[in-house]
Amino acid sequence: MVSPETRSAALLAGLREIAPDYVFHLPSSTLKSLLTGLAELGITVHPLTREEEGIGIASGLALAGRKPVLVIQDNGLGNALTALTTFPQAYHIPIFLLVSQRGGLGEYNSMIHTFCERVEPILDAAGIRYFKLDARIPLEEWTPTVALAYQYMQTTHRPIAVLCNLMAGQ
Amino acid sequence: MTTTTPAAPLTRFAALRATAAAYPTEPYVVAVGTMVREMLLVGRADNHLYVLDSMGLPPAIGLGLCLGLDTSEHEKVVVVEGDGGMLMGMSTLATIGLLHPRQLLLIVLDNGVYAATGDQTTAAAAVDFCAAARSCGFASTWSVATEEALQAALAAARREPGPALLHVRITLENAPSTYFLPDPVELTLNFRRYLNGK
Repeated sequence: MVSPETRSAALLAGLREIAPDYVFHLPSSTLKSLLTGLAELGITVHPLTREEEGIGIASGLALAGRKPVLVIQDNGLGNALTALTTFPQAYHIPIFLLVSQRGGLGEYNSMIHTFCERVEPILDAAGIRYFKLDARIPLEEWTPTVALAYQYMQTTHRPIAVLCNLMAGQ
Repeated sequence: MTTTTPAAPLTRFAALRATAAAYPTEPYVVAVGTMVREMLLVGRADNHLYVLDSMGLPPAIGLGLCLGLDTSEHEKVVVVEGDGGMLMGMSTLATIGLLHPRQLLLIVLDNGVYAATGDQTTAAAAVDFCAAARSCGFASTWSVATEEALQAALAAARREPGPALLHVRITLENAPSTYFLPDPVELTLNFRRYLNGK
């Protein structure tokens, strides 16, 4: 079975291809090694107070021609939803969210299912495009999917999310 | 420096007119609701980014602009927010303090109510916005309630490094205005054109 660290390394390789100039995050226990890896690449990672703040900051950076990336957990998409739909989605500002997904097979935390298991229909209803990485996606697809998702964001001029389940749940 | 004046003869329109005149070419983010509508009465401008919804987000958008723009081209980045919006986005004061963008001037027009929805009271009466900003690491703050004090603070804000918060107490008066209902994409394209100097 592929370890969360190996999956994190595959995501990190995708982020390296994007070469973001700013990364903002709210932590997730499953993203710990990804955040450490970004720091090792020399990419400064800044903390957010709330996910919607990240949507605002990333939108400002994108308007200024920069390449921001947000790293958050899917629980926080609930906080981000109004900001996402009313600003970058409505204004056609491309921003990239790497979202750790929880819930599903292998999830140990009884609190986390309520929102996380409904993230995909919520994003569908909001019209936010996402790409999914979990145990059903071969590991060798993870790095190119991150890079291609970034291109998709640039092509469509919209915010997009990559949902990644590092615990391999589905 | 913080000065407190009990009188509040400044209207929102007068405050917006003064701030727009002080920063006619710098990126200027205008918050949702009566702020956008009255800024359009002052005059639509290429350097303005009109945020039509997204209450509470303008300070974060301004922070992103500060981080992304070249300081040699954009000496200041201005955000005008209401007290209700500022309270909603209050935690962004901490992130601004942490990242400390020297260009940022955050102007809070405070009438103590949610004006666009019928003047319901906000929690602003309990809050010293300048003290909150300073406690988060802002470099400069001013609180004003008259046209003269506003002009003096705008002049000081141009000289002094940010991040800065200018708290402006305004009256409950709303200037007659109409809804502004553009396609938001048009606003993005206009603002990008301005940023790119085209």
